[in-house]
Amino acid sequence: MDQLRKVWRGAWAGLMLSLPAAAQSGGPAAGPFFVSVQVAGGTGAVAVGGGYWLAHRRLEPELLVGLLPGKLAGGRALPIVSLKATYAPRGFALGRSSDWRVTPLTVGGLVSYTVGPNLFLSSNHTGRYPAKGYYWWSSAVRVHAFVGPRLVQTAAGGWPRRRVLGAEIGTNDLYLVSWLTNRTLRLPEILTLGLTAKAGGAPADGPLADNGKP
Amino acid sequence: MKLVTHRGVSAALLLLTTGCHLLEFSPSQVAATGGARQLTAQNLARLRQQPRAAGGDTVRFVFIGDTQRFYDETAEFVRSVNRQRGIDFVLIGGDISDFGLGREMQWMHARLRRLQMPYLTVIGNHDQVGNGRAAYQAVFGPLNYSFEYGGTRFVLIDTNGREVGCNGTVPDLGWLRRELADTTRRTVVACHVPPNDNDFDQQLTPAYAAALARHPRLVLHLAAHVHRYTAKHPFHDAVPYITTYSLQKHRYHIVSVWGRREFRLETVDYGPAS
Repeated sequence: MDQLRKVWRGAWAGLMLSLPAAAQSGGPAAGPFFVSVQVAGGTGAVAVGGGYWLAHRRLEPELLVGLLPGKLAGGRALPIVSLKATYAPRGFALGRSSDWRVTPLTVGGLVSYTVGPNLFLSSNHTGRYPAKGYYWWSSAVRVHAFVGPRLVQTAAGGWPRRRVLGAEIGTNDLYLVSWLTNRTLRLPEILTLGLTAKAGGAPADGPLADNGKP
Repeated sequence: MKLVTHRGVSAALLLLTTGCHLLEFSPSQVAATGGARQLTAQNLARLRQQPRAAGGDTVRFVFIGDTQRFYDETAEFVRSVNRQRGIDFVLIGGDISDFGLGREMQWMHARLRRLQMPYLTVIGNHDQVGNGRAAYQAVFGPLNYSFEYGGTRFVLIDTNGREVGCNGTVPDLGWLRRELADTTRRTVVACHVPPNDNDFDQQLTPAYAAALARHPRLVLHLAAHVHRYTAKHPFHDAVPYITTYSLQKHRYHIVSVWGRREFRLETVDYGPAS
Protein backbone atom coordinates (compact mmCIF):
# COMPACT_ATOMS: atom_id res chain seq x y z
CA MET A 1 0.00 0.00 0.00
CA ASP A 2 2.92 2.34 0.80
CA GLN A 3 4.23 1.69 -2.65
CA LEU A 4 0.91 2.68 -4.20
CA ARG A 5 0.78 5.84 -2.17
CA LYS A 6 4.28 6.76 -3.33
CA VAL A 7 3.33 6.21 -6.97
CA TRP A 8 0.21 8.34 -6.49
CA ARG A 9 2.09 11.13 -4.79
CA GLY A 10 4.78 11.09 -7.46
CA ALA A 11 2.22 11.18 -10.24
CA TRP A 12 0.30 14.10 -8.77
CA ALA A 13 3.49 16.03 -7.98
CA GLY A 14 4.61 15.58 -11.58
CA LEU A 15 1.28 16.73 -12.93
CA MET A 16 1.10 19.75 -10.65
CA LEU A 17 4.63 20.79 -11.61
CA SER A 18 3.99 20.47 -15.33
CA LEU A 19 0.55 22.06 -15.58
CA PRO A 20 1.17 25.64 -14.31
CA ALA A 21 4.30 25.96 -16.44
CA ALA A 22 2.41 24.94 -19.53
CA ALA A 23 -0.73 26.91 -18.77
CA GLN A 24 0.98 30.29 -18.42
CA SER A 25 -0.03 32.35 -21.39
CA GLY A 26 3.18 33.54 -22.92
CA GLY A 27 4.87 34.21 -19.62
CA PRO A 28 8.60 34.53 -19.89
CA ALA A 29 9.24 31.71 -17.45
CA ALA A 30 7.28 29.16 -19.48
CA GLY A 31 9.49 26.48 -20.97
CA PRO A 32 8.74 24.03 -23.69
CA PHE A 33 6.28 22.14 -21.50
CA PHE A 34 3.15 20.61 -22.91
CA VAL A 35 -0.08 19.21 -21.54
CA SER A 36 -1.57 16.07 -23.00
CA VAL A 37 -4.81 14.13 -23.14
CA GLN A 38 -4.91 10.53 -24.23
CA VAL A 39 -7.91 8.37 -25.06
CA ALA A 40 -7.36 4.58 -24.88
CA GLY A 41 -4.08 2.96 -25.88
CA GLY A 42 -3.48 1.31 -22.50
CA THR A 43 -3.54 4.42 -20.29
CA GLY A 44 -7.23 4.31 -19.33
CA ALA A 45 -10.44 5.56 -20.94
CA VAL A 46 -9.04 9.07 -20.62
CA ALA A 47 -5.66 10.09 -19.26
CA VAL A 48 -4.33 13.60 -18.68
CA GLY A 49 -0.83 14.76 -17.96
CA GLY A 50 2.08 16.59 -19.40
CA GLY A 51 5.70 16.49 -20.36
CA TYR A 52 8.67 18.36 -21.71
CA TRP A 53 9.92 18.61 -25.28
CA LEU A 54 13.50 17.49 -25.72
CA ALA A 55 15.90 17.13 -28.66
CA HIS A 56 14.36 19.91 -30.79
CA ARG A 57 10.87 18.68 -29.92
CA ARG A 58 11.52 15.26 -31.35
CA LEU A 59 11.51 13.48 -28.02
CA GLU A 60 8.51 13.77 -25.71
CA PRO A 61 8.77 12.26 -22.25
CA GLU A 62 5.50 12.64 -20.35
CA LEU A 63 3.53 11.52 -17.34
CA LEU A 64 -0.13 10.52 -17.67
CA VAL A 65 -2.75 9.84 -15.03
CA GLY A 66 -5.73 7.94 -16.38
CA LEU A 67 -8.82 6.18 -15.22
CA LEU A 68 -10.56 3.01 -16.28
CA PRO A 69 -14.17 3.69 -15.19
CA GLY A 70 -16.02 1.11 -13.13
CA LYS A 71 -18.24 0.16 -16.05
CA LEU A 72 -15.21 -0.87 -18.11
CA ALA A 73 -13.36 -2.39 -15.15
CA GLY A 74 -16.36 -4.50 -14.15
CA GLY A 75 -16.56 -3.03 -10.64
CA ARG A 76 -14.44 -0.41 -8.98
CA ALA A 77 -12.75 2.21 -11.21
CA LEU A 78 -9.03 1.57 -11.71
CA PRO A 79 -6.54 4.49 -11.80
CA ILE A 80 -3.61 4.05 -14.21
CA VAL A 81 -0.34 5.99 -13.94
CA SER A 82 1.88 5.91 -17.05
CA LEU A 83 5.34 7.10 -17.96
CA LYS A 84 5.49 7.57 -21.70
CA ALA A 85 8.08 8.64 -24.26
CA THR A 86 7.45 9.38 -27.94
CA TYR A 87 10.01 9.98 -30.67
CA ALA A 88 8.60 12.08 -33.52
CA PRO A 89 10.73 12.93 -36.57
CA ARG A 90 10.09 16.33 -38.21
CA GLY A 91 7.95 14.94 -41.01
CA PHE A 92 6.83 17.15 -43.87
CA ALA A 93 4.87 20.38 -44.29
CA LEU A 94 1.32 20.34 -45.56
CA GLY A 95 1.08 22.76 -48.48
CA ARG A 96 2.89 26.09 -48.70
CA SER A 97 1.76 27.59 -45.43
CA SER A 98 3.91 25.22 -43.38
CA ASP A 99 1.94 25.86 -40.16
CA TRP A 100 0.76 22.29 -40.51
CA ARG A 101 3.09 19.33 -40.59
CA VAL A 102 2.57 15.60 -40.78
CA THR A 103 4.82 12.98 -39.31
CA PRO A 104 3.75 9.67 -40.82
CA LEU A 105 5.54 7.55 -38.26
CA THR A 106 6.26 8.25 -34.62
CA VAL A 107 7.51 5.53 -32.29
CA GLY A 108 7.22 5.29 -28.56
CA GLY A 109 6.69 3.26 -25.48
CA LEU A 110 5.06 3.51 -22.10
CA VAL A 111 5.12 1.76 -18.77
CA SER A 112 1.78 1.77 -16.98
CA TYR A 113 0.92 0.98 -13.38
CA THR A 114 -2.70 0.08 -12.70
CA VAL A 115 -3.85 0.53 -9.11
CA GLY A 116 -6.35 -2.11 -8.04
CA PRO A 117 -7.18 -4.46 -5.19
CA ASN A 118 -5.97 -7.57 -7.03
CA LEU A 119 -3.17 -5.97 -9.04
CA PHE A 120 0.37 -6.50 -7.80
CA LEU A 121 3.75 -5.04 -8.69
CA SER A 122 5.64 -8.28 -8.16
CA SER A 123 4.44 -11.72 -9.08
CA ASN A 124 5.35 -12.99 -5.59
CA HIS A 125 2.15 -11.48 -4.24
CA THR A 126 -0.04 -12.54 -7.14
CA GLY A 127 -2.28 -15.41 -6.14
CA ARG A 128 -0.08 -16.29 -3.16
CA TYR A 129 1.34 -19.43 -4.76
CA PRO A 130 4.14 -21.23 -2.92
CA ALA A 131 6.11 -21.96 -6.11
CA LYS A 132 8.26 -18.95 -7.00
CA GLY A 133 7.43 -17.45 -10.37
CA TYR A 134 4.15 -19.40 -10.71
CA TYR A 135 2.77 -16.21 -12.20
CA TRP A 136 5.94 -14.79 -13.74
CA TRP A 137 4.52 -11.44 -14.84
CA SER A 138 3.39 -8.38 -12.91
CA SER A 139 -0.36 -7.94 -12.99
CA ALA A 140 -0.10 -4.18 -12.27
CA VAL A 141 2.73 -3.12 -14.62
CA ARG A 142 2.38 -3.28 -18.40
CA VAL A 143 4.96 -2.29 -20.99
CA HIS A 144 3.44 -0.92 -24.15
CA ALA A 145 5.05 -0.01 -27.48
CA PHE A 146 3.42 1.86 -30.35
CA VAL A 147 3.83 3.55 -33.73
CA GLY A 148 1.55 6.02 -35.44
CA PRO A 149 1.07 9.17 -37.47
CA ARG A 150 0.62 12.69 -36.12
CA LEU A 151 -0.47 16.10 -37.23
CA VAL A 152 1.30 19.20 -35.80
CA GLN A 153 0.07 22.79 -36.02
CA THR A 154 2.23 25.72 -35.01
CA ALA A 155 0.58 29.07 -34.34
CA ALA A 156 2.41 32.39 -34.54
CA GLY A 157 1.62 33.53 -31.03
CA GLY A 158 -0.34 32.94 -27.83
CA TRP A 159 -0.62 29.69 -25.97
CA PRO A 160 -0.45 26.93 -26.99
CA ARG A 161 1.70 27.61 -30.00
CA ARG A 162 2.26 23.97 -30.84
CA ARG A 163 -0.62 21.55 -31.07
CA VAL A 164 -0.27 17.86 -31.76
CA LEU A 165 -2.90 15.26 -32.71
CA GLY A 166 -1.77 11.68 -32.98
CA ALA A 167 -2.96 8.11 -33.33
CA GLU A 168 -0.96 5.26 -31.84
CA ILE A 169 -1.21 1.61 -32.80
CA GLY A 170 0.59 -0.69 -30.44
CA THR A 171 0.59 -3.70 -28.20
CA ASN A 172 1.77 -4.69 -24.75
CA ASP A 173 4.23 -7.22 -23.34
CA LEU A 174 1.65 -9.92 -22.57
CA TYR A 175 -0.11 -9.66 -25.95
CA LEU A 176 3.29 -9.86 -27.61
CA VAL A 177 4.22 -13.01 -25.65
CA SER A 178 0.92 -14.57 -26.74
CA TRP A 179 1.58 -13.64 -30.37
CA LEU A 180 5.18 -14.88 -30.36
CA THR A 181 4.16 -18.27 -28.98
CA ASN A 182 1.27 -18.88 -31.40
CA ARG A 183 1.44 -19.10 -35.17
CA THR A 184 -2.32 -18.67 -35.59
CA LEU A 185 -2.77 -15.59 -33.42
CA ARG A 186 -2.94 -12.89 -36.09
CA LEU A 187 -1.19 -9.53 -35.70
CA PRO A 188 -4.44 -7.47 -35.83
CA GLU A 189 -5.71 -9.51 -32.87
CA ILE A 190 -3.00 -8.17 -30.56
CA LEU A 191 -3.06 -4.52 -31.67
CA THR A 192 -4.53 -1.63 -29.70
CA LEU A 193 -5.37 1.90 -30.76
CA GLY A 194 -4.91 5.09 -28.75
CA LEU A 195 -5.49 8.74 -29.59
CA THR A 196 -3.45 11.59 -28.18
CA ALA A 197 -3.59 15.39 -28.17
CA LYS A 198 -0.80 17.61 -26.88
CA ALA A 199 -0.44 21.36 -26.62
CA GLY A 200 2.26 23.63 -25.31
CA GLY A 201 4.84 26.31 -25.89
CA ALA A 202 4.68 30.08 -25.67
CA PRO A 203 6.30 32.85 -27.82
CA ALA A 204 8.99 33.21 -25.19
CA ASP A 205 10.17 29.70 -25.95
CA GLY A 206 11.70 30.94 -29.20
CA PRO A 207 11.03 29.37 -32.58
CA LEU A 208 8.66 26.42 -32.18
CA ALA A 209 7.71 25.77 -35.78
CA ASP A 210 9.47 22.75 -37.15
CA ASN A 211 10.37 24.60 -40.34
CA GLY A 212 12.60 26.93 -38.34
CA LYS A 213 10.27 29.94 -38.64
CA PRO A 214 9.41 31.67 -35.38
CA MET B 1 -19.99 6.48 -59.36
CA LYS B 2 -22.59 4.87 -57.12
CA LEU B 3 -20.41 1.78 -56.85
CA VAL B 4 -17.39 3.85 -55.88
CA THR B 5 -19.38 5.66 -53.18
CA HIS B 6 -20.70 2.34 -51.95
CA ARG B 7 -17.21 0.92 -51.74
CA GLY B 8 -15.98 4.04 -50.01
CA VAL B 9 -18.73 3.79 -47.39
CA SER B 10 -18.00 0.07 -46.88
CA ALA B 11 -14.30 0.76 -46.46
CA ALA B 12 -15.01 3.58 -44.01
CA LEU B 13 -17.37 1.33 -42.03
CA LEU B 14 -14.80 -1.48 -41.98
CA LEU B 15 -12.12 0.92 -40.79
CA LEU B 16 -14.46 2.25 -38.13
CA THR B 17 -15.45 -1.18 -36.80
CA THR B 18 -11.84 -2.40 -36.87
CA GLY B 19 -10.84 0.81 -35.11
CA CYS B 20 -13.50 0.26 -32.44
CA HIS B 21 -12.17 -3.22 -31.76
CA LEU B 22 -8.64 -1.85 -31.52
CA LEU B 23 -9.61 1.07 -29.28
CA GLU B 24 -8.54 -0.53 -26.02
CA PHE B 25 -8.56 1.57 -22.89
CA SER B 26 -6.55 -0.83 -20.77
CA PRO B 27 -5.70 -4.55 -20.90
CA SER B 28 -7.53 -4.69 -17.54
CA GLN B 29 -10.85 -3.70 -19.12
CA VAL B 30 -13.34 -6.54 -18.81
CA ALA B 31 -14.48 -6.93 -22.41
CA ALA B 32 -13.18 -5.65 -25.72
CA THR B 33 -15.15 -2.86 -27.39
CA GLY B 34 -17.80 -4.75 -29.34
CA GLY B 35 -16.47 -8.08 -28.01
CA ALA B 36 -18.46 -11.11 -26.85
CA ARG B 37 -20.25 -10.95 -23.51
CA GLN B 38 -22.23 -13.37 -21.32
CA LEU B 39 -21.23 -16.42 -23.33
CA THR B 40 -22.42 -18.90 -20.67
CA ALA B 41 -26.01 -17.66 -20.96
CA GLN B 42 -25.78 -17.65 -24.77
CA ASN B 43 -24.38 -21.19 -24.92
CA LEU B 44 -26.96 -22.49 -22.42
CA ALA B 45 -29.75 -21.00 -24.56
CA ARG B 46 -28.23 -22.69 -27.61
CA LEU B 47 -27.96 -25.98 -25.71
CA ARG B 48 -31.64 -25.86 -24.71
CA GLN B 49 -32.73 -25.27 -28.30
CA GLN B 50 -30.64 -27.91 -30.03
CA PRO B 51 -31.87 -31.50 -30.48
CA ARG B 52 -30.17 -34.05 -28.24
CA ALA B 53 -27.03 -35.29 -29.98
CA ALA B 54 -26.57 -38.56 -28.09
CA GLY B 55 -29.24 -41.32 -28.12
CA GLY B 56 -31.45 -42.65 -25.29
CA ASP B 57 -30.83 -41.13 -21.88
CA THR B 58 -27.13 -40.65 -22.64
CA VAL B 59 -25.53 -37.22 -22.40
CA ARG B 60 -22.16 -37.06 -24.16
CA PHE B 61 -19.74 -34.15 -23.86
CA VAL B 62 -16.11 -33.33 -24.53
CA PHE B 63 -14.05 -32.39 -21.47
CA ILE B 64 -10.77 -30.47 -21.72
CA GLY B 65 -8.91 -28.06 -19.45
CA ASP B 66 -6.36 -25.28 -19.49
CA THR B 67 -6.64 -23.70 -22.93
CA GLN B 68 -4.41 -20.88 -21.63
CA ARG B 69 -2.26 -19.34 -24.39
CA PHE B 70 -2.56 -22.50 -26.53
CA TYR B 71 -4.27 -20.77 -29.48
CA ASP B 72 -2.68 -22.95 -32.17
CA GLU B 73 -3.66 -26.09 -30.27
CA THR B 74 -7.19 -24.77 -29.68
CA ALA B 75 -7.73 -24.45 -33.43
CA GLU B 76 -6.58 -28.08 -33.87
CA PHE B 77 -8.78 -29.16 -30.96
CA VAL B 78 -11.83 -27.53 -32.54
CA ARG B 79 -11.17 -29.28 -35.87
CA SER B 80 -10.89 -32.64 -34.09
CA VAL B 81 -14.03 -32.18 -31.96
CA ASN B 82 -16.05 -31.13 -35.01
CA ARG B 83 -15.28 -34.51 -36.55
CA GLN B 84 -16.82 -36.37 -33.58
CA ARG B 85 -20.44 -37.51 -33.75
CA GLY B 86 -23.11 -37.41 -31.06
CA ILE B 87 -21.51 -34.73 -28.84
CA ASP B 88 -23.97 -32.53 -26.92
CA PHE B 89 -21.51 -29.86 -25.77
CA VAL B 90 -17.91 -29.10 -24.86
CA LEU B 91 -16.88 -28.37 -21.28
CA ILE B 92 -13.68 -26.45 -20.57
CA GLY B 93 -12.33 -26.91 -17.07
CA GLY B 94 -10.88 -23.45 -16.47
CA ASP B 95 -7.72 -21.46 -17.21
CA ILE B 96 -9.21 -20.23 -20.44
CA SER B 97 -6.75 -17.33 -20.25
CA ASP B 98 -3.13 -17.28 -19.12
CA PHE B 99 -2.89 -13.72 -17.75
CA GLY B 100 -6.52 -13.14 -16.70
CA LEU B 101 -7.02 -10.57 -19.47
CA GLY B 102 -10.37 -9.98 -21.17
CA ARG B 103 -8.79 -9.90 -24.60
CA GLU B 104 -7.32 -13.39 -24.13
CA MET B 105 -10.85 -14.63 -23.42
CA GLN B 106 -11.99 -13.00 -26.68
CA TRP B 107 -9.12 -14.66 -28.59
CA MET B 108 -10.15 -18.02 -27.18
CA HIS B 109 -13.80 -17.42 -28.01
CA ALA B 110 -12.86 -16.49 -31.60
CA ARG B 111 -11.52 -20.06 -31.93
CA LEU B 112 -14.05 -21.95 -29.80
CA ARG B 113 -17.01 -20.33 -31.55
CA ARG B 114 -16.12 -22.52 -34.56
CA LEU B 115 -17.26 -25.57 -32.58
CA GLN B 116 -20.40 -27.08 -34.05
CA MET B 117 -21.84 -27.51 -30.55
CA PRO B 118 -22.16 -25.05 -27.62
CA TYR B 119 -19.27 -24.82 -25.18
CA LEU B 120 -19.36 -24.10 -21.46
CA THR B 121 -16.62 -23.09 -19.08
CA VAL B 122 -15.75 -23.04 -15.39
CA ILE B 123 -13.33 -20.43 -14.03
CA GLY B 124 -9.66 -21.33 -13.43
CA ASN B 125 -7.03 -19.71 -11.23
CA HIS B 126 -5.32 -17.99 -14.19
CA ASP B 127 -8.67 -16.43 -15.13
CA GLN B 128 -8.65 -14.65 -11.74
CA VAL B 129 -5.25 -12.95 -11.95
CA GLY B 130 -5.41 -9.15 -11.80
CA ASN B 131 -8.84 -8.01 -12.92
CA GLY B 132 -9.52 -11.43 -14.45
CA ARG B 133 -12.45 -12.36 -12.22
CA ALA B 134 -14.39 -9.34 -13.47
CA ALA B 135 -13.32 -10.11 -17.05
CA TYR B 136 -14.56 -13.71 -16.75
CA GLN B 137 -17.86 -12.51 -15.31
CA ALA B 138 -18.31 -10.08 -18.21
CA VAL B 139 -17.20 -12.38 -21.03
CA PHE B 140 -18.56 -15.71 -19.73
CA GLY B 141 -20.79 -15.17 -16.70
CA PRO B 142 -21.24 -16.42 -13.13
CA LEU B 143 -18.35 -18.12 -11.31
CA ASN B 144 -20.72 -20.73 -9.84
CA TYR B 145 -23.62 -21.97 -11.93
CA SER B 146 -25.59 -25.09 -12.74
CA PHE B 147 -27.78 -26.34 -15.56
CA GLU B 148 -29.83 -29.36 -16.48
CA TYR B 149 -29.53 -31.22 -19.71
CA GLY B 150 -30.79 -34.67 -20.72
CA GLY B 151 -31.91 -35.55 -17.21
CA THR B 152 -28.48 -34.65 -15.83
CA ARG B 153 -27.64 -31.82 -13.49
CA PHE B 154 -24.28 -30.15 -14.11
CA VAL B 155 -22.83 -28.15 -11.20
CA LEU B 156 -19.91 -25.88 -12.06
CA ILE B 157 -18.07 -24.35 -9.16
CA ASP B 158 -15.13 -21.99 -8.56
CA THR B 159 -12.58 -23.96 -6.49
CA ASN B 160 -9.60 -21.61 -6.90
CA GLY B 161 -9.17 -21.12 -3.16
CA ARG B 162 -5.56 -19.96 -3.33
CA GLU B 163 -6.62 -16.92 -5.37
CA VAL B 164 -8.38 -15.57 -2.28
CA GLY B 165 -5.58 -16.66 0.06
CA CYS B 166 -7.39 -19.87 1.15
CA ASN B 167 -9.66 -17.79 3.40
CA GLY B 168 -12.43 -20.38 3.68
CA THR B 169 -14.80 -18.75 1.17
CA VAL B 170 -13.83 -20.55 -2.08
CA PRO B 171 -15.37 -22.98 -2.97
CA ASP B 172 -18.72 -21.73 -1.69
CA LEU B 173 -19.86 -24.84 0.20
CA GLY B 174 -23.26 -23.38 1.10
CA TRP B 175 -24.01 -22.89 -2.60
CA LEU B 176 -22.70 -26.38 -3.44
CA ARG B 177 -24.88 -28.04 -0.79
CA ARG B 178 -27.96 -26.22 -2.10
CA GLU B 179 -27.15 -27.31 -5.65
CA LEU B 180 -26.74 -30.92 -4.48
CA ALA B 181 -29.93 -30.89 -2.38
CA ASP B 182 -31.97 -32.48 -5.18
CA THR B 183 -30.72 -36.06 -5.02
CA THR B 184 -33.24 -37.44 -7.52
CA ARG B 185 -31.29 -36.30 -10.58
CA ARG B 186 -28.10 -37.69 -12.06
CA THR B 187 -25.41 -35.11 -11.24
CA VAL B 188 -21.93 -34.16 -12.49
CA VAL B 189 -19.75 -31.68 -10.59
CA ALA B 190 -16.96 -29.87 -12.48
CA CYS B 191 -14.35 -27.36 -11.37
CA HIS B 192 -10.80 -26.27 -12.06
CA VAL B 193 -8.63 -27.12 -9.02
CA PRO B 194 -9.35 -30.68 -7.79
CA PRO B 195 -9.98 -31.03 -4.02
CA ASN B 196 -6.94 -33.27 -3.53
CA ASP B 197 -4.61 -30.56 -4.91
CA ASN B 198 -2.47 -28.14 -2.85
CA ASP B 199 -4.14 -25.14 -4.51
CA PHE B 200 -7.54 -26.17 -3.11
CA ASP B 201 -8.41 -24.56 0.25
CA GLN B 202 -7.38 -27.45 2.53
CA GLN B 203 -9.70 -26.46 5.38
CA LEU B 204 -12.67 -26.97 3.04
CA THR B 205 -11.56 -30.27 1.49
CA PRO B 206 -13.29 -32.68 3.95
CA ALA B 207 -16.62 -30.82 3.82
CA TYR B 208 -16.44 -30.53 0.01
CA ALA B 209 -15.80 -34.26 -0.40
CA ALA B 210 -18.52 -35.10 2.13
CA ALA B 211 -21.11 -32.97 0.28
CA LEU B 212 -20.36 -34.91 -2.90
CA ALA B 213 -20.24 -38.34 -1.24
CA ARG B 214 -23.71 -37.81 0.28
CA HIS B 215 -25.30 -37.51 -3.18
CA PRO B 216 -26.56 -40.96 -4.26
CA ARG B 217 -26.63 -40.10 -7.96
CA LEU B 218 -23.34 -38.23 -8.29
CA VAL B 219 -21.78 -39.70 -11.44
CA LEU B 220 -18.33 -38.15 -11.25
CA HIS B 221 -16.24 -35.12 -10.30
CA LEU B 222 -14.31 -33.45 -13.11
CA ALA B 223 -11.36 -31.08 -12.75
CA ALA B 224 -8.36 -29.74 -14.70
CA HIS B 225 -5.42 -27.60 -13.41
CA VAL B 226 -2.88 -30.47 -13.24
CA HIS B 227 -2.69 -30.72 -17.09
CA ARG B 228 -2.85 -34.52 -17.08
CA TYR B 229 -5.29 -37.38 -16.81
CA THR B 230 -5.81 -38.82 -13.35
CA ALA B 231 -8.65 -41.03 -12.09
CA LYS B 232 -8.87 -41.74 -8.38
CA HIS B 233 -11.10 -42.24 -5.38
CA PRO B 234 -8.97 -39.98 -3.13
CA PHE B 235 -11.60 -39.82 -0.38
CA HIS B 236 -12.35 -43.57 -0.40
CA ASP B 237 -16.00 -43.04 -1.19
CA ALA B 238 -18.15 -43.80 -4.23
CA VAL B 239 -17.22 -40.63 -6.13
CA PRO B 240 -14.66 -40.97 -8.95
CA TYR B 241 -12.44 -37.87 -9.25
CA ILE B 242 -11.08 -37.32 -12.74
CA THR B 243 -8.70 -34.69 -14.06
CA THR B 244 -8.20 -34.02 -17.77
CA TYR B 245 -5.43 -32.93 -20.13
CA SER B 246 -4.43 -29.39 -20.97
CA LEU B 247 -4.85 -28.43 -24.62
CA GLN B 248 -1.09 -28.68 -25.10
CA LYS B 249 -1.29 -32.47 -24.75
CA HIS B 250 -3.29 -32.89 -27.99
CA ARG B 251 -5.69 -35.13 -26.12
CA TYR B 252 -9.17 -34.68 -24.72
CA HIS B 253 -11.84 -36.74 -23.07
CA ILE B 254 -15.29 -37.68 -24.25
CA VAL B 255 -17.52 -38.32 -21.24
CA SER B 256 -20.80 -40.24 -21.64
CA VAL B 257 -23.21 -40.44 -18.71
CA TRP B 258 -26.39 -42.50 -18.60
CA GLY B 259 -28.57 -44.64 -16.31
CA ARG B 260 -28.51 -44.06 -12.59
CA ARG B 261 -24.86 -43.01 -12.33
CA GLU B 262 -23.03 -44.78 -15.09
CA PHE B 263 -20.33 -43.20 -17.19
CA ARG B 264 -17.75 -43.98 -19.82
CA LEU B 265 -14.55 -42.06 -20.46
CA GLU B 266 -12.91 -42.09 -23.88
CA THR B 267 -9.61 -40.44 -24.80
CA VAL B 268 -9.14 -38.83 -28.19
CA ASP B 269 -5.54 -38.32 -29.27
CA TYR B 270 -5.28 -35.99 -32.24
CA GLY B 271 -1.62 -35.25 -32.75
CA PRO B 272 1.81 -35.12 -31.24
CA ALA B 273 1.98 -33.72 -27.71
CA SER B 274 4.03 -30.53 -27.68
